[in-house]
Amino acid sequence: MFFHIVLERNMQLHPRHFGPHLRDKLVSKLIKDVEGTCSGRHGFVVAITGVEDIGKGLIREGTGYVTFPVKYQCVVFRPFKGEILEAVVTMVNKMGFFAEAGPVQIFVSNHLIPDDMEFQSGDVPNYTTSDGSVKIQKDSEVRLKIIGTRVDATEIFCIGTIKDDFLGVISDPGAAV
Amino acid sequence: MARRGRDDDDDEVEEEEEEDEEEAYDLEDEEEEDEDDYEEEARGGGKASRSRGGRGGGGGGRKRSREDNFIDDSAIEDDEEDDDDGDGGGRPKKKGGGGVRGFFDEEAQVDEDEEEEDDGEGEDDFINDAGADLPDEDVVRGSRHRSMPMRDEEEDIDEIERQVRERYARSTHIEYGEEAAEVEQQALLPSVKDPKLWMVKCAIGHERETAICLMQKFIDRSDLQIKSVVALDHLKNYIYIEAEKEAHVKEACKGLRNIYASAKITLVPIKEMADVLSVESKSVDLSRDAWVRMKLGIYKGDLAKVVDVDNVRQRVTVKLIPRIDLQALASKLEGREFVKKKAFVPPPRFFNIDEAREMHIRVERRRDKDSGEYFEMIDGLMFKDGFLYKTVSIKSISTQNIQPTFDELEKFRKPGDDMNGDMSSLSTLFANRKKGHFMKGDAVIVIKGDLKNLEGWVEKVEDETVHIRPKISDLPKTLAFNEKELCKYFKPGDHVKVVSGVQEGATGMVVKVEGHVLIILSDTTKEHIRVFADHVVESSEITTGITRIGDYELHDLVLLDNLSFGVIIRVETEAFQVLKGVPDRPEVVLVKLREIKSKIDRRASAKDRSNNMISAKDVVRVIEGACKGKQGPVEHIHKGILFIYDRHHLEHAGFICAKAQSCLLVGGSAGGRRGNGMDTSDPRLGALRSPASILQSPGRLPPRGPHMNYGGRFGGGGRGGRGHDAMVGKCIKIKSGPYKGYRGRVKEVTGVLVRVELDSLMKIVTVKRDDIADTPTVATPFREPRYSLGGETPMHPSRTPLHPYQTPMRDPGATPIHDGMRTPMRSRAWAPMSPPRDNWEEGNPATWGSSPAYQPGTPPARPYEAPTPGSGWANTPGVSYNDAPTPRESNYGNAPSPYVPSTPVGQPMTPNSASYLPGTPGGQPMTPGNVGMDIMSPIIGGEGEGNWLLPDVLVNVLRAGDDGPGVVREVLADGSCRVALGSSGNGDFVTVLPNELEVIRPKKSDKIKIMNGNFRGYTGKLIGIDGSDGIVKLDDTYEVKILDMVILAKLAS
Repeated sequence: MFFHIVLERNMQLHPRHFGPHLRDKLVSKLIKDVEGTCSGRHGFVVAITGVEDIGKGLIREGTGYVTFPVKYQCVVFRPFKGEILEAVVTMVNKMGFFAEAGPVQIFVSNHLIPDDMEFQSGDVPNYTTSDGSVKIQKDSEVRLKIIGTRVDATEIFCIGTIKDDFLGVISDPGAAV
Repeated sequence: MARRGRDDDDDEVEEEEEEDEEEAYDLEDEEEEDEDDYEEEARGGGKASRSRGGRGGGGGGRKRSREDNFIDDSAIEDDEEDDDDGDGGGRPKKKGGGGVRGFFDEEAQVDEDEEEEDDGEGEDDFINDAGADLPDEDVVRGSRHRSMPMRDEEEDIDEIERQVRERYARSTHIEYGEEAAEVEQQALLPSVKDPKLWMVKCAIGHERETAICLMQKFIDRSDLQIKSVVALDHLKNYIYIEAEKEAHVKEACKGLRNIYASAKITLVPIKEMADVLSVESKSVDLSRDAWVRMKLGIYKGDLAKVVDVDNVRQRVTVKLIPRIDLQALASKLEGREFVKKKAFVPPPRFFNIDEAREMHIRVERRRDKDSGEYFEMIDGLMFKDGFLYKTVSIKSISTQNIQPTFDELEKFRKPGDDMNGDMSSLSTLFANRKKGHFMKGDAVIVIKGDLKNLEGWVEKVEDETVHIRPKISDLPKTLAFNEKELCKYFKPGDHVKVVSGVQEGATGMVVKVEGHVLIILSDTTKEHIRVFADHVVESSEITTGITRIGDYELHDLVLLDNLSFGVIIRVETEAFQVLKGVPDRPEVVLVKLREIKSKIDRRASAKDRSNNMISAKDVVRVIEGACKGKQGPVEHIHKGILFIYDRHHLEHAGFICAKAQSCLLVGGSAGGRRGNGMDTSDPRLGALRSPASILQSPGRLPPRGPHMNYGGRFGGGGRGGRGHDAMVGKCIKIKSGPYKGYRGRVKEVTGVLVRVELDSLMKIVTVKRDDIADTPTVATPFREPRYSLGGETPMHPSRTPLHPYQTPMRDPGATPIHDGMRTPMRSRAWAPMSPPRDNWEEGNPATWGSSPAYQPGTPPARPYEAPTPGSGWANTPGVSYNDAPTPRESNYGNAPSPYVPSTPVGQPMTPNSASYLPGTPGGQPMTPGNVGMDIMSPIIGGEGEGNWLLPDVLVNVLRAGDDGPGVVREVLADGSCRVALGSSGNGDFVTVLPNELEVIRPKKSDKIKIMNGNFRGYTGKLIGIDGSDGIVKLDDTYEVKILDMVILAKLAS
């Protein structure tokens, strides 16, 4: 799920950046530092949409760096248990398949793939129904439900299922959506 | 009548006790009572009890069983009966036998026979007397066993009656009164005043017999002063005798054939006396379907399922996966001589009748008497459904802490068998629960009873009882369950940690719940693991589980006992999963700790398809075979096999095993590597980039890498710090001492000791200087040529180092499979002089062109060889750039005159050194080793050009006539220098060839100029010397660098 929230961060800036473009420098550094990171609480920071406030800088003793408290608005993406997501399959193996929804990696175990779909090894490993009408392979798009999340410092890993109504392949026009 | 009355009483008492004591016999008792009643009718009530005794053969069997329960009363009957009733004949004996049997269940059968014989002669008359005597005997017995005061036989009958009542009243109280306070119990414990217990050794297997003998002896001889004898089932070879004094015991044991005269009599400490007789409580009583493990024999450690328990005979029938060697069995059955190999234990395998029949083993089909099931019988072994049914002693199985693994359980599972339905096997698992298994807040599910499948959360745990808050709201707030009725419950998506079982320590997310079995996706291996719900707890922790057993750690390269090797890809509780070093297909074996011979900890290297050197941590791509296309850093190299870690590879913990020859170094060249790593903007030369290996492998070596050594050579003063001796670098032969006969190269001379690098052993030894002799045949004295030949132009040496690494024929290290491949490289690398010198000498154009040994033998070496002269090592723009496309020609062209290439050398250096480092993507960026090297030994870039002179450097001019110090004023385009003579540069200007110059080695605190590497051209101050490293403080940045001395030149003041 996406959220537009306000976060705060203390930015340290090297004195050499001081000057008329200090604010720009600060913002570009903020974007560089923050975008794409992940925190367990808020999820992935997808984009910074604006800077609300830059507080007074504090010179740090000894280094000369200046710390600015920066409040910024950003779009974050945080997957939740039970959430339905659309994702792109990145890898298929006999244990299931991995899919990605933006920065989030989701694993769908073969236990959570409908029983009528079977793993077919070969050049392009895939899961196919017995009648061959539905096929999940690399680059397929699937709709899945997240049943578990694990949040690390740097990534969020999810386990999903497509063993439910209205879940499964969506990129294939032949498949029921 | 009085007597009758008493008998009645007696009978009542008996009945009472009976009920209390042996519920199991209730049925029989009832039957008997019926009969009694019947007989009572016939004979009159008072005789009931006696009639029992007197009943003839017909009732004998039942009577016996009954009498067992009446031991108390009838035990001593025979004593008096013997005395009183001579006419009783065998009768008293029989009775006695029955009584005795009460004490010694089975052993009593000795007497049983007699009893049987006698059974027929039951006489009612006699019974009367027997009945009359009964109470007396009780008392006597009581005195013995319950420490009641000995009574006179002649005492009044009423008195007897009273006492009997008293006794039973009390005994009931003591034995069954549950409310008996602990203090009272304590009071019953033996004290110092009580008779002591002695442990006496007797013949093994005859414990009970011995006890009976002693009893008989006691019966026969009234002077025996022992109080009791105990034979314990679980204690072999010993019996206990209760007596006041050791002498009494000795007296009693005298003459018994089962007790040796010499047998030691040991006193049991008072504290332990209670333990001797206390019943061992078995926490797990064996029940059918329980899981056990075998303790002995070839099945030792194997899991077995109990199918039948015979508590009386202390035997269980278990179901096992047979370990049968059919071949051996067949041989045995045919009576052939069969040599039994002790070490061989057949692997567990289901038994197949057809297979057996094929081997002409006779298989009988038989019906089991008790169970009515059919078994296949072979040579006394019972099989059913492929399992072996074996009856073993309870002692030979272990019932505690059985934690069957999934694999094992799976094997025992019949197809279609539901794991969950298997209540007993689950209960075995539950029995192994640790204390505090359930914690407040745990989600649980009820698995037994009316509320089965009720879910809830643990609220409170009290010992065995767990209070749960049910999920369904209509139920009472909390419900109490026995711990065993509950099982933990997880939902898919829960993150859990395995806390017991084989997978202990692993964490993962629940993917699927199959009853009480969870399928977990491991966090680290991304594999599915099956565990019991009972074995996991919810946790946010992320681990792999255990990562080491003994000396071996996850991802170690290990040597297995059968000389194969592999990488540990998973550590289980008692075994490792090892990916074997078989390149064609991944082969994973499960090995026990003891099956691993050793860890392979050697730093090996191998050559890839294009003959690039691959060392650990290099990134390679697999270009053929099963894992084609995979890419990753090399974790281990052994015998030309690479273990590559590809984090995208999900199997085998990401490890891939591939032949070095089917891999390609990423960033290395695809089509055979060329000479030197000098990179220029010239596209043609770009293709001739140095093989990564050249940069890499040495780069990873300690700073004492080969490059500097070349530098050292050119600099001339390189080895000044070490034993600078004419002998250094020479090939010598050791003529005495422990290394007599070895050949080697002198590394260093310190006083009378010489350090010699042995050719054959790949190690450096220290020998006495007197012990060595020159070996002119092998030796390639480099010193002389160095000075005499102009050939020591930097380009030559710089080219030479390539040889040892690139020409497999030359050097044992070059053959990829050679174990010691790494060593020569390394050792040579240490040896400042050896590789260059040696190669240089041979690389001397004259020998070079004509020594086919270098190039032709190995195709990959050839392409490399070709460009070298032009591009790589001769950095001379004039020659090499033009020659590069036709390297061979240039090579030979160079050959005749070493001077030709030498002249331009100085000039190109500057541009080269600048462009060199960034320009060799093949070498540098992909080898982490190089990074370190940059810092440690900045000469990395110097390899191509050698370090050569810069203006203002103080030099020694070696040209005849102009000998002496000078200051370089200008470096000309052809590499020669204009030198101002005199230590301060005041003298005349002369133009000198570089080989006629020698850089003056700076001393501590001298101003220096760095002649090579990243810092070429920088000036600084030498603030210290550490061996061959100089500690330099740069003038510009005040940074302190550690640089090789050979690239430092003293600045003219």
